[in-house]
Amino acid sequence: MLGPAPGPPAAHVPYAGESSVPGAAGHKFDVPVDGPAKHTNDPYVTGTSVLGIKYKDGVLIAADTLASYGSTIRYKSIERLHKVNDHTLLGASGEISDYQYISNLLEELATDDFNHDDGLQLNPKEIYAYLTRVLYNRRNKFDPLWNSLVIGGVKNGKSFLGVVGMIGAAYEDDHVATGFGNHLARPIFRSEHRPDMTEDEGVALLEKCLRVLYYRDKQSINKVQVAKVTEKGIEISRPYALASEWSYQAFVDPTKGAEGSW
Amino acid sequence: MDKGPHGHVERPSWSPYDNNGGTAVAVAGEDYCVIAADTRMSTGFSILTRDHTKLFKVSDKCVLASAGFQADAKTLQKTLDARHQQYQHKHNKEISCPAMAQLLSNTLYYKRFFPYYTFNLLGGLDNEGKGCVYTYDAIGSYERTGYSCQGSGQQLVMPVLDNQLKSASPLVLPAVSSATPLSEAEAMDLIKDTFASAGERDIYTGDAVEIIIINRKGIRKEVLPLKKD
Amino acid sequence: MFLTRSEYDRGVNTFSPEGRLFQVEYAIEAIKLGSTAVGVATKEGVILAVEKRITSPLLEPRSIEKVMEIDEHIGCAMSGLTADARTLIDHARAETQSHRFTYNEPMTVESCTQSLCDLALRFGEDGEDSMSRPFGVALLIAGWDESGPCLYHTDPSGTFVKYEAKAIGSGSEGAQSSLQEHYNKDLTLKEGETLALSTLKQVMEEKVTATNVDIAIVAPKFHLLTDEEIQEVIDRL
Repeated sequence: MLGPAPGPPAAHVPYAGESSVPGAAGHKFDVPVDGPAKHTNDPYVTGTSVLGIKYKDGVLIAADTLASYGSTIRYKSIERLHKVNDHTLLGASGEISDYQYISNLLEELATDDFNHDDGLQLNPKEIYAYLTRVLYNRRNKFDPLWNSLVIGGVKNGKSFLGVVGMIGAAYEDDHVATGFGNHLARPIFRSEHRPDMTEDEGVALLEKCLRVLYYRDKQSINKVQVAKVTEKGIEISRPYALASEWSYQAFVDPTKGAEGSW
Repeated sequence: MDKGPHGHVERPSWSPYDNNGGTAVAVAGEDYCVIAADTRMSTGFSILTRDHTKLFKVSDKCVLASAGFQADAKTLQKTLDARHQQYQHKHNKEISCPAMAQLLSNTLYYKRFFPYYTFNLLGGLDNEGKGCVYTYDAIGSYERTGYSCQGSGQQLVMPVLDNQLKSASPLVLPAVSSATPLSEAEAMDLIKDTFASAGERDIYTGDAVEIIIINRKGIRKEVLPLKKD
Repeated sequence: MFLTRSEYDRGVNTFSPEGRLFQVEYAIEAIKLGSTAVGVATKEGVILAVEKRITSPLLEPRSIEKVMEIDEHIGCAMSGLTADARTLIDHARAETQSHRFTYNEPMTVESCTQSLCDLALRFGEDGEDSMSRPFGVALLIAGWDESGPCLYHTDPSGTFVKYEAKAIGSGSEGAQSSLQEHYNKDLTLKEGETLALSTLKQVMEEKVTATNVDIAIVAPKFHLLTDEEIQEVIDRL
């Protein structure tokens, strides 16, 4: 395996001061050393931040298309935005295989709704509540789905935006971001976001944040997608590249001012 | 992979728990109860949202405030709400605050070996219309008091409440009412001060405080902004 | 298989073409063979009085138990197959205790009665503990809860009705009309005791003594009267 990529779970030897009582502070929850690992207690192929904001006509959600294998750029065209139904959109960060499993669950829900043939579909809040229970129930089995999910939608004139974490903690807000995004994008959201932004302003804000993430999050790339949910439905953009600027002197001549002895 | 201080390989280990912080305070008087909690939801040094309510209205006479792990708090609320619906169907009445207090204790204790990581206060009016506050630990130990505080600001707030509202000793005979001697307005002022103070020093408390007032006239809510730093 | 008319009373849960459940009706009949029990609700408390049939001079009267405590605040008198009542009362005792454990409050008398009737109707189902036939017993449930004193009557069909005064058992017809004549809402507890016992006395074949009747009151706690206390009531008649 190359570099510090995630490998099979290593034996965890308790060290001094570490509790062996489940649930106590300092206790580490590890899988058994022998036999195949049956729980995802560490992720393998992962997607990084997902960003979401409310705007004038609904909700915008953005993510890049990279699936990393540790620090390896493994898949560069994995789409992490999923249309759940006509008014609900899901964006997923974390373990890609778990995300694909979750997509299948939602696909089944949508199929059931379709088969009822009553024209009704689950609303965004219901999808959010459902996913909260799915993730929480898996954490109860000590077999988590290793994802942070962003759920956005519009129904009956009300927009919805929320996040569910891998142990079931969930919250709603006017702007959200998972992973690195919570550190790098949300401060920008807090100073520049307004719920009455136009679509152009919203997309510009998301692209600005994606670019910041691209520069600072080594598990991100500049190939991104932005999706919007409005009363009219869902549009997910094709992946496109963000322009980046590398002609700064510090990039062109990184050792200038710090010459080595060789 | 990082080597730990003892030489073996350490991975970021997974935990089923998180502490999302938050402080809850409740004060009971002869004929009212005030129960409050801040709206900040954090993880580690990050704020997840500044507007997440920790208060849950069980009935018109009973409100639950939960700090700690948000996912467990939510599950606890859903469980109690379902139990309350069943109670109403079975007994044709709303559950009383003291009955809900016992039910909450049992609900927490049934998860004794995989606890809800929640720190709860239950406030409301008892069957005589008197203010009541029930204070809990995560595994269901509970006590009826006249005032209490739970959550990340507990260490900061509790001594202040003790100082301002010296409760009668439970050993005094004949038993003295657990309710505080404060008026409703005085209780409100005290609670606002405790949150302003907790917000100064506790990084997990801030943004805003929601205050629910329950008295014989009914139930109402006030929101007071706190510092966002 | 062709079922003749009379075969509709075989299965305990089979309706006859006229829409009747014969086994349930027979069970209700069984109560009319039982000893008489009287319940009177007053504003000060509820009284239960039952006759004990002393069928032999060698019989130990104290071993006949037809008034039982369900919880501190609920008592129960029975008529019919008293052995069946044990199952019901065991259930009610468990329910009321479980309610105290869960909610730290006494169960309401109506909820307790409801849970008894749920069990009464749960016959003929599969399973180890399930009763194969209807319970052949009627109960008078006396209690005191947040809404004050109250009296309920239950029968094998799982129906329960609230009463101010009610008689069950072999002498119930006469006793009920007597109650109807003499009951009024303003009775004191003492007057209620007298009414219950005098009503019982009218329909009893034997002379009333402290040993061949049981009297219990719920006011607001359950209390089974001692022989001396019963004698006091007899002396008041």
